[in-house]
Amino acid sequence: MTQGNGTSPVLSIRNLTTTIQSDGLIFDVVRGLSLDVYPNERVCLVGESGCGKTIAALSVMRLLPEAGEITGGSILFKGRELVSTSERDIRAIRAEEISMIFQDPLTSLDPSFTVGSILKELIKVHRGGDDKSAAALALATLAEVEIPDAKSRMDAYPHQLSGGMRQRVMIAMALVLDPDLLIADEPTTALDVTVQAQILERLVEEQRQRQMAMLLITHDLAVVASVADRVAVMYSGEIVEQAPVDQLFADPRHPYTQGLIRALPHVSPRKEPLYSIPGRVPPPQFTPPGCYFAPRCPYAIERCWQEHPPLEPDGGDRLLRCYNPQPFALL
Amino acid sequence: MRRIVSRTGYMILILILSSIAVFYAIRLSGGDATAAALPASTTAAQREAFRERLGLTAPIYVQYFQYAGRILTGDMGNSLTNNADIGQMLIRHGKNSLILGAAAFALVFVIGIPLGIWASVRRNRFADQGIMTFSVTGMAIPNFWLALLVIWLFASTFHLLPSAGCCEPRHLILPAVVLAFEGIALTVRMTRSAMLENLGQDWVRTARAAGLSEIRVIGKHAFRNALIPIISLAGLRIGQIVGYALVVETIFGWPGLGQVLVNAVLRRDYPVAQFFSVVLVALVVIGNWLADLGYVIANPRLRRA
Repeated sequence: MTQGNGTSPVLSIRNLTTTIQSDGLIFDVVRGLSLDVYPNERVCLVGESGCGKTIAALSVMRLLPEAGEITGGSILFKGRELVSTSERDIRAIRAEEISMIFQDPLTSLDPSFTVGSILKELIKVHRGGDDKSAAALALATLAEVEIPDAKSRMDAYPHQLSGGMRQRVMIAMALVLDPDLLIADEPTTALDVTVQAQILERLVEEQRQRQMAMLLITHDLAVVASVADRVAVMYSGEIVEQAPVDQLFADPRHPYTQGLIRALPHVSPRKEPLYSIPGRVPPPQFTPPGCYFAPRCPYAIERCWQEHPPLEPDGGDRLLRCYNPQPFALL
Repeated sequence: MRRIVSRTGYMILILILSSIAVFYAIRLSGGDATAAALPASTTAAQREAFRERLGLTAPIYVQYFQYAGRILTGDMGNSLTNNADIGQMLIRHGKNSLILGAAAFALVFVIGIPLGIWASVRRNRFADQGIMTFSVTGMAIPNFWLALLVIWLFASTFHLLPSAGCCEPRHLILPAVVLAFEGIALTVRMTRSAMLENLGQDWVRTARAAGLSEIRVIGKHAFRNALIPIISLAGLRIGQIVGYALVVETIFGWPGLGQVLVNAVLRRDYPVAQFFSVVLVALVVIGNWLADLGYVIANPRLRRA
């Protein structure tokens, strides 16, 4: 997918396949994922637990767990191939050019070091320089992500900060070297609702100011609606639909996307139970020959069980992986 | 802070109770203090007078309070066998024991920690399996047997090192290694498990995502956190070394506190035996106290909670 203004993507993932080895068996967790992220763009990767979102993000950072391996495809970042790049080169890219924020701020900071020393180490490892200039940059970044009383927080240990504050520290770590791409993996899932809103607002504000690209991974459509320029819906390790955010919400085309939107809680005059998509995500070792969603799809036709549908343009900026799309009705 | 105060109180209580226990144990274990101190020709009346003079005829609790009073004024008494000043003995033999103990203690960590880290980084590979086999063996071998083994191997067979004696570095090697052996084995095991636990934490992934090298991630961040349990158990290692010193010093003829204590007990030299028993207890208790202190210092979550 290309954007109208003709710029090339910062991140271009093509046919990425990532496997996880478990109990001696090898599963494809990400299967043939393709996704572009353009400069100054906020892309949301949406899907339910276990669909491979996090593994896809960790593949980009080359931070897969020991049991994980990228077995196919390509990840181009500013024209450089990340899949085959050396460990040393990928280390230089991390934090400097691509940053990542993780889900649980309570466990994501080293408990034995102060906030200031964690940030200063990160700065000095990448940029060198003396302790004083690193401290100045660390302090400025903490203040920028709206940590109150940032100066005294430099000397705080992570356990002395609240969850929201710790996530701000994580954001400061991610932004301090001014990266071109920020990957945020469920950055607000572990936080209170009020704190969630503040953190998201901060992230969007930083993305705008720095004009960086942002890939936000979430299962929460409310987050998607408030943050995304473009949305990619992931199911069972691949993208099933991709569209600008207003198009996706106004007119979801893939039956899975339709199911997700239908399952959003909404105020309804009728007292009806909350909609849920029947069935569950197939485990990664289960690969139906046809469409992965067919067993749960209300509109599956014969062809859906036989052939795997490709991801194809479906009018305008939309990509769709479906043989039998049906108009959306909210029930 | 409160933790340190209460630990200090505990330490003092344990010292008092153990000194009472030692005092009673030595007097109730039979044997005759006069046998070693006086020549065989001494008459029963002379022996009784000797006991009277030492205050050994009074009830044991009275003796204890008299003894405690003298200790508190700095009078540690003299040996019954050679009339040596116990304070002087403490300095002379204590220095030897300190050299041996410090050498063993250093070996425990200088060898145990790197091996443990190496095993954790090479988990389930050949190096790890080799190190863990060594560790299990080290925990299983009794140190008196290991002492005989190394004497046979390095002293009798290859004549590389002396089998006994004091106080040059070459005399120190074998007893220090034997004394440290079990501690090394335990430290390897503990370091490995603490490292593995920390390497699985989310913040290790954060450190890698920040572009830090593996050496920094493992050697600085994971290790800094793994140090917390290692330090907290360092006190136990001190206790172990003090306990084993009795055996090892005796086998290698190293004139330290352990050897003095073993000889004093065998000769019913009450003042020496009870004093040095309590010294060894104090070493163990102080070791544990230091480890507690180290634990609080090493763990920021306890420091300003």
